[in-house]
Parts: sequence; C-alpha cells; structure tokens
Amino acid sequence: MGVVDWILGVLVRGMALGTPLLWGALGEIYAERAGVVNLGVEGMMILGAFFAFAAAQLTGHPGLGLLAAALIGGMAALLHAFVSVTLRANQFVSGLALSMLGLGLAGLLGRGWEGFPLSNPLPERSILPPLGALLAVAIWALLYHTRWGIILRTVGESPAAADAMGIDVALVRYLAVVFGGMLAGVAGGFLSVAYRPSWTEGMTGGIGWIVVALAIFASWDPLRAIGAALLFGTLFHLSFRLQAWIPPEPLQMMPFAFTILVLAIAARWGARAWRAPEALGLPYLRGER
Amino acid sequence: MRGHVSRWLTSAVVIAVLLAFIPMGYAQQKLKVGFIYVGPIGDYGWTNAHDVARRLVEQQLPVETLYVESVPEGRVEPFIDRLVAQGAKVIFTTSFGFMDGTVAAAQRYPNVIFAHASGFKRARNLATYMADFYQVYYLNGLMAGALTKTNKVGYVGAFPIPEVKRHLDAYALGVRAVNPQATIQVRWLQDWFSPPKAKEATQALIADGVDVFAFTEDSPTVIQESAKKNLLSFAHYSPMYKFAPKQVVSGELVHWETIYLDFLRKVLAGKYSADNLQDVDYWWLLAEKAVEVGAEPGMMINPLFVSRLKAATVKTADLGTLSVYDLVQRRIAQMSKNPVAFDPFAGPIKDRKGVLRVPAGQTLTVAELTSMEWAAPGVVGPWPGEP
Repeated sequence: MGVVDWILGVLVRGMALGTPLLWGALGEIYAERAGVVNLGVEGMMILGAFFAFAAAQLTGHPGLGLLAAALIGGMAALLHAFVSVTLRANQFVSGLALSMLGLGLAGLLGRGWEGFPLSNPLPERSILPPLGALLAVAIWALLYHTRWGIILRTVGESPAAADAMGIDVALVRYLAVVFGGMLAGVAGGFLSVAYRPSWTEGMTGGIGWIVVALAIFASWDPLRAIGAALLFGTLFHLSFRLQAWIPPEPLQMMPFAFTILVLAIAARWGARAWRAPEALGLPYLRGER
Repeated sequence: MRGHVSRWLTSAVVIAVLLAFIPMGYAQQKLKVGFIYVGPIGDYGWTNAHDVARRLVEQQLPVETLYVESVPEGRVEPFIDRLVAQGAKVIFTTSFGFMDGTVAAAQRYPNVIFAHASGFKRARNLATYMADFYQVYYLNGLMAGALTKTNKVGYVGAFPIPEVKRHLDAYALGVRAVNPQATIQVRWLQDWFSPPKAKEATQALIADGVDVFAFTEDSPTVIQESAKKNLLSFAHYSPMYKFAPKQVVSGELVHWETIYLDFLRKVLAGKYSADNLQDVDYWWLLAEKAVEVGAEPGMMINPLFVSRLKAATVKTADLGTLSVYDLVQRRIAQMSKNPVAFDPFAGPIKDRKGVLRVPAGQTLTVAELTSMEWAAPGVVGPWPGEP
C-alpha cells in the first residue's frame, strides 16, 4: 500500500462524487453563458434523482431512468426560463424558489418509494464519468468554435447587440436553460441509480449548491470544470479520509471558500480569466440599455 | 351599491365561520393527539419511526391524530399553537431541540398534555420519554467482534453528542467483550441525514481495513456501500435487511408505539392528566419492548450468520465459556428482565485514556448515560469533546 495507491484510491472516490458535480456544473455553465443564473440546481437534481429512480425501478433499465431524469430536469428548468426570461422576474429569486419547489415536490411524490434498493442499478464507474468529460470537451468546442457558441455567448455578454444582430435572445436563453436543466437532472439521476443507489427524500444533501459554486470556480469554462469537479469531489472524500488528523468542517467548507476567493480575486484585480458573462443575472428587455 | 356589497360580504363571512366550526364540534368526541416531527416522515429513520408508531396508535386507540413534519428545531412554538388551535389535547414533540419551546408552550397551555422525546425538562403537564438503544448496540457489538476478520470494526457516527457516544461506547464494549484485539474505527458526519457523507465515510473506513460496519445515520447508505465490497453491517433504526440480505447481520429497531400506547391509554383512563406529569419519564429499553434486536422485525439475527456465531467461543466472568450466539441470547434474556440482570455499563470500566469511569459493582444512572462524553477502550479516531 504505497503512496501512489493511496492517491489513486482517493482520486477514484473524487471521481465518484465529481461525476454528478461535473454534469450539474456543465449545465449551469451552459445556462449562465447565455446570461441566466439558475439557483434551482438542487431542486432540478432532486427531481432528477426521484424520477430516475422511479423510472429505473419500474422499467428495470437504469438508462431509461437517466432519460427520465433529463426530461424532468429540462421541464423544471423550463419553468425557470419562463419566469426569468419571459416574465423577466429576478433570476435569483426564481432559482431559489425552484430549489424549494423541487425538494418539496420530489419529497411528496417520493412517498412510498423509500426503503427499497434499486433492483438493477448502474455501476458507479460506468459510462457517465468519461461521458461527462467528453461532454465538457464538446460543450467547450461548441462555445468557442461554432457559430452557435458565438450566438450563445453574445446573448450572455450583450443581449442588446445580439438582438440587433437579429438573434432571438429569449429563444437562445430558453434553449440554454432547458439544456442546463437536463444535465442537472442527469446529475441527480446519477445519485439515485448509481451513486446510492436508492431513493430517500432530500438525498441530494446540498450537492446542488456545490454545483452552483463550481460553475463560478471553474470561471464558466467547461474544461476547467473537469478539474474543479474532481478537486471538489476529492476534498469531500478527504474530509472523511483525513478525519483522524483534520476536523471535517474546514475541508467541507473548502469548495465554497475557494469560490469566494475566486470571486474576490476576480473583483479586485478584474482578472480576465475569471470574468463572469457581462449580462449574467440580468433580464433582457428590448430598448433598455 | 356599496352597502349591498358589504352586507353580502358580512353574511358570507358569518356562514364561513359557522361552517368552520361544524367539523371541529363534531371531531371533539375523539381525543385529538398531535405529533411534531423534526424531519420529513419519509426520512426512513427517526421521524419515519415515530410516524409508523402514530399510525399504529390511531388503529388501536379511539383517538384522532394530527402531525406536522419538518419543523425547524428553534421554531416549534407556532406549530404547537396551530395544533392546539386544531383541538389537540395531547402533543408529542419528537426532537431534543424542541425542548425549550415545548416547556414554554406547556406553560401557556396549562390544560394541554405534553410529552417531549429525549429531553430532560418536565412540568406538571409535560412528561419526557425515550426508547434507547444502548443495550442493543452492545449486543450488535458482541456479534461484530466475533465476525470481524481484520479485527477492525467501523462506526459511522452522526454527531459527537452524548446520545451517539453512549451507543458507540456500548457497541465498543460489546466488540471488546468478545474480541479484545479489535479496534473500533470512528468517522463523524456532522449530520443526521446525509447519504453522500455517509457514503464517503464508509469508503474511508473501507480504505482503513474495516470489515464490519455499524452507524447512526438516517439512511441505509452505509449498508449499501459496504455490501458492494461484501462487507458486513448492522442496520440502524429502520428495517434495512432488504438492502443487503447477504451482509446485514442484525441491527436496532425501535417501537415507539409501545410508549405512545401506554401513555395514551393512561390519559384515556384518566390516570395521566395535565396536573400529574412532573415525574413521568419513560426510559424504555429491551425489557419494555420499546427496542428490538434485528434488521427486520422478528428476525433477531440473519440466519446466514448463525453458524459462524455458534462456532465462535468467548470466555466470560459470569457465564463461563460459551458460543457468541449463546452469549447474545443469554444477555438478551438478562436484559429483558425488569430489573435487568445485566447492564453493558457495569463497572469496572475505564475509558480509552485509562480514567476509571464506572467503579466496580456499579452501573450508570440515566443522567450519567445521557451525559456521556468519554470514549470506551478500543475506540480509534477523533472524539470531539473528549474529557
């Protein structure tokens, strides 16, 4: 049992929790790149977790469970898109409300589904971790090397300019938010069909909030999100692995501490690499400047 | 015009008020019993167990029950107000953190009967009750000590508070009674319910070589996770046998209904009133059947492990040499008597630092049990608040 084995063992654990973090964060990054903050990740994830479990349990196919999770995540995000894009309500309030709604609704629907293991779970080291990394590369390529990527980023940076170019700002934002919600749903589904695998009310246990922090920590860059997700997953595991020497709280706080640090650095020195999309969090109304 | 509207409104309000009173007047024939839960009823742990008991009570007694779930610990009073307004005459508050709020409410509603779980403050209309597991953890420990091959058993603890420490110590004493070489490796979650934390804590213990698990967390995560590596475990609180039928050895089950039924029967018979609860404290254990050894009601030990437990022998001071299986049975019999013929915390017991905690010939009082901070010998790992 050498040092290398120890480190490898820890990294494998980091990857296990890093996978839902990465999927969720990619979704959040995608939506935020179009200018819409979605604090409803926790809610979308828990809905994804429940629907994935229910669908996988009923059909016997964990893959169908993940599909159901993507659909419900997208539907929940659609609600957020409607409130924040069409109604132009405060994105932060709408997202928080979505988190509460998701937690409550999943708890209500999940009555009676507790107390049973999933009969046909997905192994933890399945296709999802490598697929997440591939997805990160794909989203990065999409954002920086395609016309759609330019459109999406323009909507997030300067919706007025995008509008002047004839782009339907609302449509782009809708699509980005819904796609982001689908990824959050899959992240939740991973928890209930692979990571656990069973359903309990409130089982996301705050992972959705780490996802929100992760999107910022990765500075809205899908490639950096891979490393950040692995780091956050590893820290979480280490808070138990190193407990004999270090109390768990500081390590569990680390993701949020890092995120605040990044925000502070970005604000103080305006570091280009850590700049948020210009129009992030702002509803767009034609004719307003 | 305006006059018409206001008259119409007034009559509507009067009718609404009258309608609102009709069902209340009707329902008052049955005793209304309110329950306040700290978690969701679907938590598959503490709150779920209370709610299972509530439903049994409603089936077996002529009472009507009401409940509120997921009540924040510091904000119990408005929920008590609501239950009283709905006509509740008996209110159970089921979390330690509800203690002070319940005491205050008991003063404001002198005619309502209150009972608070796991606390220590009483009043003329406020009783306390608790179904405790320490004996059961000791019995689980006896089995764990016999079944470990690495001589490392693990414990995933929720919070380092006296209740969890008492259970952990009892478990450790049981393990060491059978296997003096074994250590009890501890990890803390700082959470009553967190599947992700329970999972990583289990992984950390597996990495340290632990091969038998016990825990305090309100989900079957530890069982599921250790079973993936074919490692053994003891269930906590709810029937969790089905999560790993080949690896779950035994566990702890609670029967809050024994306490609720006893208490409410005495209320219905007029024995308990809002005037005489000052000294009513239920501290119910195996003898009262408030707790049960097992991971599934009626199944004390998973049959898969009976032969291994029968093959392992142990030398005891009072019973001579016998198999671990027989030892478990004998201890259950001894602790099912009232008063008990055996207690896990019978002295002499030193803590892991060598300080004498229970002198020879003595056992601990309920007050000492509920304020326990020391760590038993063999416990390895962090122990916040260790004296």
